[in-house]
Amino acid sequence: MKYQYQKAPNQWELSLFTGLGTTALDAKTLAKDVPCQAACPAQTDVPAYIDAIAKGDHAKAYRINLEDNVFPSVLGRVCTRPCETACRHNWTNVSGPVHICHLKRAGADHTPVLPPPLSPWFVPTQKRVAIVGGGPTGLTAARELVRYGHRVTLLEKENHLGGMMVDGIPRFRLPLDQVEREIDLIISSGIEVKLGQNVDAAAIRRLKDEYDAVLVATGTVKPKALDLAQGVSGLLPGLDFMRRYNQGQIEHLEGDVVVIGGGFTAVDCARACARAARRILGSDHNVTITYRRTEHHMAADLEELDEIRFEQIEVRTLATPLKVNTQDGAVVSVTFQRNKLSDKLGSDGKPAIEAIAGSTFDLPCTHLVVAIGQDADWSILPEDLRPEASPTVFTAGEFQTGSSDVIHCVADGKDAADRIDAFLTGQKRRTHHVTVDLVESRTQTGRTRDHDLQRTPAMPLLDLGARVDSTNEVALGHTDAAIQSHATRCYLCNYKFEIDQDKCIHCDWCIDVAPRACIKRTSRIFRDADGAPTDAIEATSAEKATFIYIDSNECIRCGKCQRACPTGAISMRKMERVACASEVSLHDLVAGARAEGKLPQNGWTPLRAKM
Amino acid sequence: MQRKMTFLLRSEEEEVKDAGLTLDFDEMARKGVMSKEEKTIAKWYGIYSSRQAGNHMARVVTPGGVMTSAQARNIATLSEKYGQGVLNITTRQALQFHWLKLGGLPNLLRGLAEEASTTMHGCGDVTRNVAACPLAETCPYRRTNVLPWAQKLQKELGDAPDLDNLPRKFKITLSGCGAGCAQPYINCLGLVAVERQRNGKTEKGFQVIAGGGMGWDPYVGQQLFSFVPEHRVVDIARAVALTYRDTGDRFNRATSRLKVVVNLHGIDQVRAWVLEALTEEGKATDDLETAPFEETGKPYPDRPLSELDDLAGTDGKAVVRLLVPRGEVTHHQFRQVAELSEIYGNQRVYTNNRQNLEIHGVEPGQVLELKDKIQALGLGTEGFFGIRDIVPCVGTTYCPKAVTETRSLHDLLLPIVTQDKYKPVDKKVLINITGCPNSCSPYRIVDIGFRGMRIREEETGSVEGYEMLIGGDQKAFGLKLGEFKKTDCPEIVETVLDTFLKVRGADETLTQTVARLGLEPFQQAVFQ
Repeated sequence: MKYQYQKAPNQWELSLFTGLGTTALDAKTLAKDVPCQAACPAQTDVPAYIDAIAKGDHAKAYRINLEDNVFPSVLGRVCTRPCETACRHNWTNVSGPVHICHLKRAGADHTPVLPPPLSPWFVPTQKRVAIVGGGPTGLTAARELVRYGHRVTLLEKENHLGGMMVDGIPRFRLPLDQVEREIDLIISSGIEVKLGQNVDAAAIRRLKDEYDAVLVATGTVKPKALDLAQGVSGLLPGLDFMRRYNQGQIEHLEGDVVVIGGGFTAVDCARACARAARRILGSDHNVTITYRRTEHHMAADLEELDEIRFEQIEVRTLATPLKVNTQDGAVVSVTFQRNKLSDKLGSDGKPAIEAIAGSTFDLPCTHLVVAIGQDADWSILPEDLRPEASPTVFTAGEFQTGSSDVIHCVADGKDAADRIDAFLTGQKRRTHHVTVDLVESRTQTGRTRDHDLQRTPAMPLLDLGARVDSTNEVALGHTDAAIQSHATRCYLCNYKFEIDQDKCIHCDWCIDVAPRACIKRTSRIFRDADGAPTDAIEATSAEKATFIYIDSNECIRCGKCQRACPTGAISMRKMERVACASEVSLHDLVAGARAEGKLPQNGWTPLRAKM
Repeated sequence: MQRKMTFLLRSEEEEVKDAGLTLDFDEMARKGVMSKEEKTIAKWYGIYSSRQAGNHMARVVTPGGVMTSAQARNIATLSEKYGQGVLNITTRQALQFHWLKLGGLPNLLRGLAEEASTTMHGCGDVTRNVAACPLAETCPYRRTNVLPWAQKLQKELGDAPDLDNLPRKFKITLSGCGAGCAQPYINCLGLVAVERQRNGKTEKGFQVIAGGGMGWDPYVGQQLFSFVPEHRVVDIARAVALTYRDTGDRFNRATSRLKVVVNLHGIDQVRAWVLEALTEEGKATDDLETAPFEETGKPYPDRPLSELDDLAGTDGKAVVRLLVPRGEVTHHQFRQVAELSEIYGNQRVYTNNRQNLEIHGVEPGQVLELKDKIQALGLGTEGFFGIRDIVPCVGTTYCPKAVTETRSLHDLLLPIVTQDKYKPVDKKVLINITGCPNSCSPYRIVDIGFRGMRIREEETGSVEGYEMLIGGDQKAFGLKLGEFKKTDCPEIVETVLDTFLKVRGADETLTQTVARLGLEPFQQAVFQ
């Protein structure tokens, strides 16, 4: 045949034009394009719930969060927000990331009546699983295992569930009722709960015989001790302090307080001390938090550091405790040495510490809170009971990974449930894929550049005077107008703009209207083994341009290119991470829902592969 | 200072338009720069940025494609002074200056005003140059002379303050008969003169066609009214423009033309809106008809312009047409044409939609003499509306939007199509070449149409190419033969024409042959 030219292959970043993408390429593209979702340990579908909030459907936003991260209301307050660090706004805009966490809370605050428990995925299996530890990991695993169809018994040492969410985080950051209602929702899905169970190695051995599987998720309960001081009065391990504070046992602290540590517990302890020591009401006693690295390395973000200072807590960084000075068996001061950060990294991946000779100073104090971390108590799991030796025993959460945070525990709990189910049923019963939907909307994503460039209001905070009552939540929650403003700032990265090279005529009009260097003339695109683009050579002239290529890392979903394209080569498709029991059943489900009119008919044809 | 947040779904152009910017060209000339916003608004003044940075194009509005010889001389002089002596004729019968520098623009605009010419509304989201049959005044098939109506519409709609911010451009054309030489089916509003007998009297009027358009999504215009009395034309056109103003998409400029409104809402809805607009303006609607009727005018051929050579018009005078290769004349040629029109013609210079010039009102006895003079100028006198009358858009020579150098394809094709073997089909094939999908040279409505694109190679870059259509007509667009590299196009055109010679029926145009036989014989010959 004449005039059948050899052309470079078309460039797609999804394995199909519309349908269910099941390849590694689809997963990689979703991860690259939706950085917030990829950064979330629980893979929360952030753009979907933010879009729901923007459209005023808070209940839907809550459901999405409930499905993905189990504790929307809790995480909307205390999440460590890896998503916000990953947000595309960080590098495409100058006003910082979308306040994803606050929006999650908004969705929860506007959902006064929680939905019924999530329905199970599979029919009952009659398999029984015991979970030791009723913290975020255990609760998450329990919920997911019930949805897998297993019978779950949850054993908890304390007389309440919630673990660190109840004991380790102060009420002024996370009100108790918010935790309780979400725990209740999980339990009401049919979980047997046994409180006050002090589980030791012998008990686990019994559970192992009695149940088909045992999950140990007891978290980190052993505080790391400062070798400088043992058995002195006035010295409190951070976690103990926080537990007692939350239980109302510490109402007042007389005298100066020094908190050692820079993690979440240390920061929470310092803020609790500020209340207990009544400094915020004008008492003369000092609360000081000391940390051996800089503020940058502390668990608190800049916003919280501002609040710490506002609560009149002194922050001393780059100081290592050398000696705890006592008098009559009670703490009177701590001697610190100034240090600097080395260029080299320490074993924990943070900069190593270098002492500055002759730079010691004393900080007088009556109370010393040591919050330098905690470890798991592995004594409850002797060698022969550990997962390596005992296949029906599983570990998860902080117990396994060391201290982390709620969102990582949730993710790990879900992972544990998947592992346990795979063990119990001998197969991986749920897989994750990417649905790709062609969106042909006159208004595209419905967003304009105005939305991207909004200056958004800050979170309103409680008056200082009202903070004395430590159950008063400090972050008050956004107004409706502010929620709308924050929510509409999201670029909606789950929409993908791509150029069909077979339709593209290289007119460069898209490049002319593009607000960023997001569309490039390229000669060659390099791809990895899965077909995901890794690099490209930019073309210096029209002759050298093989492709006009949208760099989805830079794409801010403004849609200008699609509107400018004279040949309709640019498509807008929506990607969504879905879990399904099997590909076939999902297809049937989607097709059925479409037929019944429950889903829009916007050109979605299952597996209509175009490439 | 915060950006003004409106959250309105509207294009950036709409934001600029809303800001209500007016331009002082002297001030811009003094500053030496034109901002992005000023460039947007400059279009209303007929000024467009060229492909070559720092250069501008100015489009002179010539309703119906007519200018006086004095205007033509003036334009030639201004072109020499400010535009490197280059003038281009457009397919909508306007004239373009190129290579204009910002510093020269104010004087150019003032210079044009001296002879009552203007570039105002040459571009922009307004009623553009109103086109008409080139032979409006003298064609033997015409029902009425549409030229005065074209000039009237330009004035009434172009100067109306409430019509100077439309969603996008609005194009009107008038045809003297149903042959549609002025292309009524591919314009926003096409007015076709008709006549009929009522109660023993001849009634003259117009058939109104709306919603045609080229571009990537082409639409054939649909009948809005089958008959409106001749004197109602301005009312109707204004009502359509008002309807368009209020219903066109202002978010996406690719879907903002009237053709999309008509296609999206249906012609019946648009008609209802137009009637509403007329009523709101206090105009009558009872004499507008939609029912079919018997047209009683003189039968016309399929392509009158191909058949009429040195036409002896209704006034007994001849029309002499000047074949302008690539649609571009020099200031010298243009001045001479103006002079020839003064000596031999009616002191007017005409442009037509094949990017050629015409001199009307020539004594039949002087035609040969005039032709000699024209040839001496380096312009053609034969082959109008035929195979050698290839119409390329300006392409990458000037246009920032084009992707191919259409004129070089024109030059490649010319030696092929002028071969002796194609003499028999000389008047049966029209070729248009456009450098981008905007179709300034409407490639879908002719026998052979080329649309510029690039063809990518094996990861080493790309080369100029064309999508090639054959068998197009105003009402049935061409069919895609394939996408070819530019260097292959001459060979393919030759193959297509050879095939056409073989398979054509008596007196058929290529389009008629394709309509009868389909693409297949041509595909077979080309791809074999």
